[in-house]
Amino acid sequence: MKKSFHPLTWWSGAIAFAVAVSVAHHTIFNVVVVGGMCFLVYRVNRNALDRASWSGGLWFALKIAAIIIVIRTMIGVVIGVPVPGNTLFQLPIADLPDWMAGIRIGGAITQERLTFAFAEGVQIATLICIFAAATSLTSPHRLLRQMPIFIYEFGVALVIATSVLPQLVTSASRIKSAQRMRGVERRGWAGVALPLLEESLARSLDLAAAMDARGYGYSRQRSRYRREKLVARDLTIILSAVALIPISMVAFA
Amino acid sequence: MITFNSVSLIYPHSLHTVFEDLSFAIDEGEMVLVIGATGSGKSSLLRLINGLVPHHTGGILAGDISVDGISTSLTKPGGLAHLIGIVGQNPAHGFVTDTVEEELVFGMEALNFAPDVMRKRVEEILDLLSLAHLRARSISTLSGGEQQRVAIGSALVMHPKVLVLDEPTSALDPIAAEEVLSILHRLVHDLGLTVVISEHKLERVIGFADRIIAISADGKAEIDIPEEILKRSPIAPPIVHLARALNLDSVGTSVREVRRMTTHLRDFTPLVTQSETAAGETVVVINELSHSYGEKLALRDISLNFRSGEITAVMGRNGAGKSTLFKSIVGFHKVAGGQIRVQGSDPVQLHGRQRLSTIGYIPQEPSDLLIHPSVAKECAASDRDNGLELGSTLAFLARLTPTVNPEAHPRDLSEGQRLSLVLALILCSAPDVLIMDEPTRGLDYQAKSLLVDTLVSYSRNLGKCVLIATHDVELVAEVADRVVFLADGDVVADGATLDVLLSSPAFAPQVAKVMSPAPWLTVKDALRGIAQATGKDSQE
Repeated sequence: MKKSFHPLTWWSGAIAFAVAVSVAHHTIFNVVVVGGMCFLVYRVNRNALDRASWSGGLWFALKIAAIIIVIRTMIGVVIGVPVPGNTLFQLPIADLPDWMAGIRIGGAITQERLTFAFAEGVQIATLICIFAAATSLTSPHRLLRQMPIFIYEFGVALVIATSVLPQLVTSASRIKSAQRMRGVERRGWAGVALPLLEESLARSLDLAAAMDARGYGYSRQRSRYRREKLVARDLTIILSAVALIPISMVAFA
Repeated sequence: MITFNSVSLIYPHSLHTVFEDLSFAIDEGEMVLVIGATGSGKSSLLRLINGLVPHHTGGILAGDISVDGISTSLTKPGGLAHLIGIVGQNPAHGFVTDTVEEELVFGMEALNFAPDVMRKRVEEILDLLSLAHLRARSISTLSGGEQQRVAIGSALVMHPKVLVLDEPTSALDPIAAEEVLSILHRLVHDLGLTVVISEHKLERVIGFADRIIAISADGKAEIDIPEEILKRSPIAPPIVHLARALNLDSVGTSVREVRRMTTHLRDFTPLVTQSETAAGETVVVINELSHSYGEKLALRDISLNFRSGEITAVMGRNGAGKSTLFKSIVGFHKVAGGQIRVQGSDPVQLHGRQRLSTIGYIPQEPSDLLIHPSVAKECAASDRDNGLELGSTLAFLARLTPTVNPEAHPRDLSEGQRLSLVLALILCSAPDVLIMDEPTRGLDYQAKSLLVDTLVSYSRNLGKCVLIATHDVELVAEVADRVVFLADGDVVADGATLDVLLSSPAFAPQVAKVMSPAPWLTVKDALRGIAQATGKDSQE
């Protein structure tokens, strides 16, 4: 099996990408970056033996990104200051009370206003996708493990707390469908909440007992099994991501 | 190694003691099996060993327990972590981290082991439990047997002197269970590890145990060699029941022993007993059913019919497609390919009262179905849902298990009682098809025999169709008329229970192994068969 990348690699790369995207602020560049990210996640995760629960993060983020673009564009077009330019069509202007002076809903929709609102939407969506891609490539849990020892303690606690979350989602849907089969059709989440709460409490107790039995928190000091090292491959990726910042500065200035 | 000195235990808000004046000693390198009915305190006993009870659960402990000279009343469980490894019933509930390697080192990191020591120990454990190829895998993607091995590994990596396992195989299929148990056996012999284990399916572990601690309902316990305990104990594997029923002088713990004791019984030629099949009308029709999760194909072009008055057991490895098949029949999801008809209608389209009277489904976790805060309210809700007279579900439940307290919270019931409650809720609407996914998980023999009686009478007397998915060969031998065997999404065998179970030694129940080549699956079959055969012999 190929050795996986250092946990910091993709996260520092993602930060560099985010900076480059913010500097450039160019829709086509954004689309290219997101496209590249999707390809990267696909290539790297395709060969991964097992898919951790995080690896679907990017695809989830893409859906959210699409919704963000739509909402941002609509709001940007309907509400706000008129931008002069090539008028596409006219919306009726809503009558607003006096105290809302300065806000306008509706009015002329210009091509400039549309493009601007769309570009803003893409910008937000791109930043989300970049970090979602980093999450897909490296589990946040692995990142937490690389933290210095004084954060590490806290990181371990955080890892334990968050590893229950995906299980909760599975349990919730399991209970919901089981109850549907009992003929409980309209109770919705109320009927699920109680069994779910009971189950997660029981699970937490089990987990606490297991941790206790394995000596968690017993010794004042805690050692660390392995610190991963940044190798040439990781450095190349980080450096090329960072190199994108000045390039985008020059190209889109 | 472990000494209990007049130990008594009582939990807070409880009126009766779990144990009273318990004294025994377990030597180094022994493998001790703890047996008892559900709720008799097996788990409490195991957790007393490393002090989780009472340090973690509360309760009052009298007397003294010491492990390797350390008294557990003075030391917290964390302080015994290097000495005692404990593995719970459901390994998934005890995992703290994401990947195998991280899980293995969790305890060592907590106790501040040096990194080079950790690295050596991890390699050693990966080899010992043949987990090396899984080291970087995320735990949630492993199979049940692999998960249980990781759980055992993360306990062993601390080099404990005592390993405590609470029903380590209850969530596993027979093959995975075999794998885990043979590893334990090897550990006891190679490392001189002291192992204390509890298990419901005695037939799986009895051969490995040096001694047995039998806990009775009144909190008394006795410890002795298996042969002695099993002579009297109501909890016993099928071969012991067979030995008792045949009035053999002693009970054996392995198929080989009992086989040698019964050679005289197998001298005559057995009659071929043909089980009578009450062929009813077809209730469930499955036509070329296929289903997949993402890229993974779970079911491949399956065509099956299930008739009324017939109990069908669906068997197969974990992940063979049993649950998917059941979920498709129940109508959890639209099927990807093919067609399913239950009483002529598409199960996805069934709603409300029509669904209740057509399909009854009991999932792997029966408690998923329970929403209300007391047994009585649960039953009342079911009366309302089914349009029955108030109290009829409760009356039905009382007939199943008279001991259930109607005011109790469903979560406080024992596993067996909870299953009875769920059975009552589902069966009171008299569904045409009853579907149960792994019904015997965590059930003791008593609860199991209640389940068997209920299922058989539901199918025979009311002429309903019953489907169960199970790993439990002994249960299949007791109830099923027909066995469907799934492997990798395909039906590999489908036929009368007798034919399917006897065709493969791995799936033959214990009685059949002892009595082979006679085609008897259960103690009852064997007794009847022998009576018939000897009757015939004496007539001749």
